[in-house]
Amino acid sequence: MNFDHLHLLLNHVPIIGFVIALALFVASFAGRNTDLRRSALIVFAVVALVTIPTFVSGVAADRTIANDAGVSEALVKRHEGAAMLGLWFVMATGAAAMTALWRFRRTAAGPPRADIVAVLLLSTIATGLMARTGNTGGDIRHPQPGTAQGTPVAEGSIGAIIHAFEPAPDGFTDLMVATKWWWATMMVMHFVGLSLIIGVVGAIDLRIMGFARELPLAPLHRLLPLAMIGLGLNFVTGMLAFIGMPVYYAADIAFWFKLCALMLLGVNALLFYMTGIFDSVEHLGPGEDAALSAKIIAAGSLLLWFAVIISGRYIQRFEDSLRF
Amino acid sequence: MLSAPAFLDTLERTGLSTWLRESESLFAYYFVLVLHNIGLALLVGTCSVLGARLLGFVPELPLVPLRRFFRLVWIGFWLNMVSGAFLLIAYPTKALTNPLFYLKLVLIALGVWVLIRIERECLVDEAAIASRLAAKRSLVLWMLGVWLGVLTLGRSLAYTASYILYGKGT
Repeated sequence: MNFDHLHLLLNHVPIIGFVIALALFVASFAGRNTDLRRSALIVFAVVALVTIPTFVSGVAADRTIANDAGVSEALVKRHEGAAMLGLWFVMATGAAAMTALWRFRRTAAGPPRADIVAVLLLSTIATGLMARTGNTGGDIRHPQPGTAQGTPVAEGSIGAIIHAFEPAPDGFTDLMVATKWWWATMMVMHFVGLSLIIGVVGAIDLRIMGFARELPLAPLHRLLPLAMIGLGLNFVTGMLAFIGMPVYYAADIAFWFKLCALMLLGVNALLFYMTGIFDSVEHLGPGEDAALSAKIIAAGSLLLWFAVIISGRYIQRFEDSLRF
Repeated sequence: MLSAPAFLDTLERTGLSTWLRESESLFAYYFVLVLHNIGLALLVGTCSVLGARLLGFVPELPLVPLRRFFRLVWIGFWLNMVSGAFLLIAYPTKALTNPLFYLKLVLIALGVWVLIRIERECLVDEAAIASRLAAKRSLVLWMLGVWLGVLTLGRSLAYTASYILYGKGT
């Protein structure tokens, strides 16, 4: 596997994806087109998910090209800092989009105005930061005409302002691993999040699959925000842990397995909520049996969450299993 | 110099302990850790769902059938008693020279007592429980608090050990 090629494959998705989603989102205000708005929110959520492996593959690509002649470490760090800042806004946009989609389900009138404003604001900032991330990344291999590769780049006036907010990657990394207490706290939170996800999602999956059939599904599904708190907690602590030891994780086959399982869970959730399968089980009463399609989705979710736990626990065992 | 009892050294030299620690097999130490992690997720995760219902978050969810999920709590518990024993056999000095490990055991005992009480008192008759649930609030909070404590202490054992192996400090 060549990581700089993987990074090149993935890194256009967040930039182009957010530009397209933002355009659709803004267009949906003309004529109050709710279908278009829903589509834009789905694109935001999906692109946010793909941004995670994009970021991770960037770290691996950094190790791949680090020894190439003409690659400036300063330019790589500048790109990494831009990516780190952009990542948080992309994640926040994805979370806001998912919240808005959730509320679309609950009310015919659509999500409250606050949700829409949050998505609009966060996605506009995120799109700008993604553009800068792409631009600073391009500077690594494709210098301005007339200058040699690796020549330091002078920031423009806007670039200088954004740069002030970008973390120094090495400093951020040091901060995460500075004390074992902060690391231990992050790990405890990660395990709490994992328990919340497995508890709630597992109960819903088992009910759909046919266990504890006396339970109606709707009230059980109303506990989903508890799982979402767990998921949010684990995205944040997971990404912080990755930034703390990026090379350790990027060089680990078990970590990539875990990422793949998480991406498949995203696909699984999309299939469940967007193709009408959820509508078929939403009002499942006591004793009622779910459709086979719903059972397959539920079993897939359960299997994939266990795959996430198992591959996560084997990360230590597979330290240094990948060569750059 | 470590003044720990010599049986820790003896235990560490047994075939099982050595195999768990040193084997390259995927089914050695990390497999036991995976089982311990799954047990934790079943126990704490299911407790969270039950706790949310008992604290009144989704009153439409019938309590008596929810009792079926309590089996998952006990499956998680016994899975972790067994996998925990194997982890202890792999690194006896590491665990037994750490005061936090004993605190964890005390909390587990407390947690089991709370779980038994919850199962007996809270998940019985649907009509009778509605009026009694308010009185059981503190018991439910104890359940969540104690098991969160067990999780925190368990995770901390990885970062607070004074000795990893007999005679080997950190």
